[in-house]
Amino acid sequence: MHRFFTVAYLLTIFISDLQHTDAQDTVRVRGGLQVLYTFEAGQGDTVFDRSASDTTLNLKITNKDAVKWIDGALQVNSATTIKSAAPARKIIDLAKRTRGLTVEAWVNPANDRQDGPARMVTISGNTSRRNFTLGQDANYYDVRLRTTVTTTNGIPSTSTPSGTATPRLTHVLFTRHADGTTRIFINGEQQATAQIKGDFGNWDDSFTLSLADEASGGRPWLGTLHLVAIYSRPLSTKEVTQNYTAGPGAKTGEMLAQRRHEQFFESKIAPLFAKNCLGCHGAASHKGMLNLARKTDAFKGGESGKVILAGKPNESLLIGQVISGDMPPQGPALTEMEIHDLQHWIKNGAVWTVDVIDQALYANNRPIEIWLQRLTISEYIGTVQQTIGVDIAEQATTLLPPDIRADGFSNTAYNLNIDLKHIETYAHLAEQIVQQVDVAKFAARFSKSRKLSTDDTMRDFVADMGGWILRGPLDEREISIYSGIATTIASTGGSYDEAVGLIIEAMIQSPRFIYRVEHQRGDGSAWPVNDYEMASRMSYILWGTSPDQQLMQAAKDGRLQDATNVAAQVKRMLENPLAKIQSARFITEWLDLDRLENLQPNAKRFPAWNASLAQDMQRETVAFFQDIVWQQKRPLSDLLNAQFTYATPQLAKFYGFALQTNSAENELQRYDLSDVPERGGFLTHASTLTVGGDDASMVTRGLFVLNDILRGAVNDPPPGLDTTPVPAKKGLSQRSIAEKRIANSACTGCHSKFEPLAFGFEKFNGIGVFNNQDEHGNKLRADGEILFPGTAVAIKYKSASELMDLLADNKRVQKTITWKLIQFALGRPLAAADARIINQIHTAAGAHEGTYQNLMTAILTSELVMLTRTQTE
Amino acid sequence: MSVKTINRRTMLKGVGSISIGLPLLEEMIQPAVAATKDDVPIRAFNIFFGLGIPSPLQAEGFDDVLEPLKPLGEKLLIMRNVNQIRCDESGINAHYDGAAGAFTASAPDGEARAGGASIEQLVRQAHYPAGQPNGVVPTLVGGTFFRRSRVGRYIHSYNKDGTVAATIQEKPRDLFARVFGSVALASGSKDARRRALKQSVLDSVVDDFRFYTGANSPLGAKSKSRIADHLDRIREYEQRAFALDTDPNAPKRPRRSEIPHGGASDPGGQGIDITLEQLTTEWRLLADLYALSIQMDRVRFGSLTFLAAGERIRLKGEYEYDGKHRWSFDDARQQNASGDQGCSHEWWHKFNENKKNEALRAHAHMKMREVAYFLHQLNDKNSLEVNDRTIMENSMITISTESGDGRHNDVKRELSGVFHAITGANGRFKTGQIMDVGAEGIDVYNTMLGAMGVKDQLGPDDRDNQTIDQIRA
Repeated sequence: MHRFFTVAYLLTIFISDLQHTDAQDTVRVRGGLQVLYTFEAGQGDTVFDRSASDTTLNLKITNKDAVKWIDGALQVNSATTIKSAAPARKIIDLAKRTRGLTVEAWVNPANDRQDGPARMVTISGNTSRRNFTLGQDANYYDVRLRTTVTTTNGIPSTSTPSGTATPRLTHVLFTRHADGTTRIFINGEQQATAQIKGDFGNWDDSFTLSLADEASGGRPWLGTLHLVAIYSRPLSTKEVTQNYTAGPGAKTGEMLAQRRHEQFFESKIAPLFAKNCLGCHGAASHKGMLNLARKTDAFKGGESGKVILAGKPNESLLIGQVISGDMPPQGPALTEMEIHDLQHWIKNGAVWTVDVIDQALYANNRPIEIWLQRLTISEYIGTVQQTIGVDIAEQATTLLPPDIRADGFSNTAYNLNIDLKHIETYAHLAEQIVQQVDVAKFAARFSKSRKLSTDDTMRDFVADMGGWILRGPLDEREISIYSGIATTIASTGGSYDEAVGLIIEAMIQSPRFIYRVEHQRGDGSAWPVNDYEMASRMSYILWGTSPDQQLMQAAKDGRLQDATNVAAQVKRMLENPLAKIQSARFITEWLDLDRLENLQPNAKRFPAWNASLAQDMQRETVAFFQDIVWQQKRPLSDLLNAQFTYATPQLAKFYGFALQTNSAENELQRYDLSDVPERGGFLTHASTLTVGGDDASMVTRGLFVLNDILRGAVNDPPPGLDTTPVPAKKGLSQRSIAEKRIANSACTGCHSKFEPLAFGFEKFNGIGVFNNQDEHGNKLRADGEILFPGTAVAIKYKSASELMDLLADNKRVQKTITWKLIQFALGRPLAAADARIINQIHTAAGAHEGTYQNLMTAILTSELVMLTRTQTE
Repeated sequence: MSVKTINRRTMLKGVGSISIGLPLLEEMIQPAVAATKDDVPIRAFNIFFGLGIPSPLQAEGFDDVLEPLKPLGEKLLIMRNVNQIRCDESGINAHYDGAAGAFTASAPDGEARAGGASIEQLVRQAHYPAGQPNGVVPTLVGGTFFRRSRVGRYIHSYNKDGTVAATIQEKPRDLFARVFGSVALASGSKDARRRALKQSVLDSVVDDFRFYTGANSPLGAKSKSRIADHLDRIREYEQRAFALDTDPNAPKRPRRSEIPHGGASDPGGQGIDITLEQLTTEWRLLADLYALSIQMDRVRFGSLTFLAAGERIRLKGEYEYDGKHRWSFDDARQQNASGDQGCSHEWWHKFNENKKNEALRAHAHMKMREVAYFLHQLNDKNSLEVNDRTIMENSMITISTESGDGRHNDVKRELSGVFHAITGANGRFKTGQIMDVGAEGIDVYNTMLGAMGVKDQLGPDDRDNQTIDQIRA
């Protein structure tokens, strides 16, 4: 059911792949490849689809006597259909979604007289009904492409000049861009272009794919087929050249096989190691000198020598050990299937795609769940503002049930559930919104007519206004539903304005307004999101609201399937103040700063605490973040150790800073902390230090750093364990209590991983005040050591300042920031299956200093955003 | 006046084989208004059916398309050769003109208003100038229809200023609520109107949400379950926000309609696919409720529409009448067309006097069967009143349509010979005849109004009205 990142997923090549990895001229373009026929079978009546997709579309030769297999080609000598048994649904569905297409063929026509046009590649029903056809009409090539503005026969067609179709080996490639531009290339050179407007919404889902004749016969093409490929997007001119240069015999299959092996490692082997092996043979505890977490160490082997011999499973010690049952020594033995997977992996070259297997990541190999995303409260407010121009913030915030934090963020889709209060509030707010809008003026943006009749302009009006409010074109069903309100109003003697108001009310209670509806159904592989879905993804990720007109126009023009265009839009959008507001939501969510609103430390112990101080603490961290991100545009890792902060006079006094002159009572002022070594970075802000509670718990602070900064994990305490915090007292500081726990053999396995992370903060009390001794007179320390997950050796630090520097410089910490930002962007917890792409994003952003801007650009141009994982049910 | 109680057996009999979930308790069915023995109330209703009957077919009497009216023939005056040419408005096809002219004899005034009052409203205003007794719905407008681009296509009750006399109830549930719901609803107040419109908005939202839980939803399983949750909550909200405060004497609320309504019932004039069973199930439930409302004296005036003007449905189903198979409806296949071109109204466009017109005849015959179905509800023994006449006989019921020929190339022909039939109105009009009236609809209507004691007349004040005495008893 949830076959995310299946073989098909990785074989549905990503946009970033096609732009970054197909560097070699001899390598064919893979991005968007749907079917590939290389005619290598040499015999039989089947032409195999070599795209290696889960949903391959093989073709059957009706009359074997009409063809002759030759080396890597199929010679068609007389009329025969070569047709898929099933409809070409995958191609059709994807083309509908992307509105783009590439049809490519290496052919050698038998003559320059066959016409009709003679069908070379066609998805059609009969001689007059088609989705598209690439054909030869005497001495030129002709492509009929059906859209919503052409005939069912795909007329007008796009044709090459006379003389371009001759009996010679020829590379013919047709592309159609979402904006309607069609092009035909002959041997890498553009020979024809046209504008075929409309979209593929009327493509027939039942049509099969046929080669060398019409599906119903009667339009035979004779000649030799060397290669046929269909892509779900238009190839660029550079890519056309690339495929032409690669020639008719390019071995795409081998390349795709390599991708399969990589995916196998990520989905099978890495989780298997993480679950069964790394506990003993990991970075921290490499028994027998064997570290199976790190690629280089794993292949190097251990005390007994090499354990993995690529290509030789029977000679690999690893296989022998698991078959004999010697490994793993504790717990259940590997299943037969797991052993088979290991053998299969080694036999196929033991492909290993990551430097280090992250145990915390792969051990919890949960599937990715795709949930419909309901607008969060802030997204709802922003969307109403963006689309209708009404500020509903106060009422929405008051009336809508709060979005509950899950997996660290309150925009986590699976937790954005719905209850009666939502429905009631949405209905109430819809009414309020319409009351606040100038309906006549708003409606005039979409139609000059004020007729209620659906035979006149009402349907067009509903389509236009709905396209804006609902963030993409409406289909006929939706137009009918919403324009029906107009007829209902008309039948009660109501006015045009009343009708428009009620249509708006209905629309802003509809699924496409309340939820970020996307097309999720498919064959289980990853498909490109359509332009409007992409526009919404971009705006909600970058702004936390709906697309603006420019973004909608880009979607309408079909410009959001291309990573370069997306990057240009991201650059524009990052300059909008909405991006800054959204970034504040991220830091607030990540560090759970809203927690401070409800914090009530013991008043006797902390008399300085008050609600306004708590608010100042929140504001400090957000302002600090904004400075790093927007004023200085520094790498996000600087959030850990930048030597400045912001404080109100009240907070500055609380911290013991020298008050700046001219500080207004409630105004944040920037403070340079070069001379305040104990502070610097958000982990030294009171907002995060309060996470430890009144007693400044080492456990809670340590877990916060481990989970939210290092992306590490430990198991829950054993059942029945007394977890009552041990209070500090004279002669017993929190540090010494923690050290006793770590020294306890029953506790050390887990506590040694996280409590030392909090040692550096011991001098900060429960509400973040810096002291050298606690309230019992115990002298406090700030030295300690940190064991980064995945490493074997702990690193010592002497002070909080040194700890902050270590964290800021650490690659895992840096990647965690990337990880958190991606999670917030996607609105779902990340999983092992995401790791490869996350690494790509991190690398791409890191190459540009890892700023927020670069990270967002990398995220939005990645396949995590530009593709969607389809579901079969 | 005395309205007979309707017993459970009779109600179920009226429903026929259709299960409508109306378990009536005999003791519950009481008239809303106490009646005196000699008081038979004035009632007037307009019954509209779409697309009409070409006048050459009307000439065949009860031999073909009018056959279903034959059992009621003694209580009807069927009028041929009534023309409505004055209702023509240039620039709009005669489907709409003719429909807006039915019962008003005037051209439409824009897209949402008639050119003037409808006859039953003039009767109402003349006889109840201070309003009807408490508990009676002022005007009940109902209908089963699938063409809604202009109001005149499906609403057939208008005030003097041409505005609609009441919100149309197109779902049996809504009609039920209008009659048996709270006083606020029944009063037709602004609140009631607002509430009805809010319900309409919610219905549209529900329609949209339903799609996302259905087979064609673009969503995956988890997302669909979230939408299903949302739908559940909407229903809960609906129950709470629009909870019907019903009359304790009311029958049980009918189930939710299962055919398209609102915008979905008229997707851009392209027509919908519907089976004969779906169509008649919905219509008969509506007709039953409407008739029941009259029998319970909750309604005395209004209109009922069976299929709109220029109706666009692609009907399928086996059509039987009187135990004999008459026709297999399959409009799209028989016309080898889809969309609007595959709809039944195309049979009217293709009418040819020299051909059999089998499909058109079957459609028209079926419409007469369904109109007769409603009339029968008001003509059985449960509808007998103190003067030993049935409600049908005592009421002024006018049956009409949009045109006398479905071809659009001759407006005069199209708006001539528009079928009309009326009941006796407690002895005011002749019945038991098929009469060639040969008059304008406006004169027929004004004659009827005069007979009903209405001083107001349709048409311009200075028009020289012609009284059609031949229709008066």
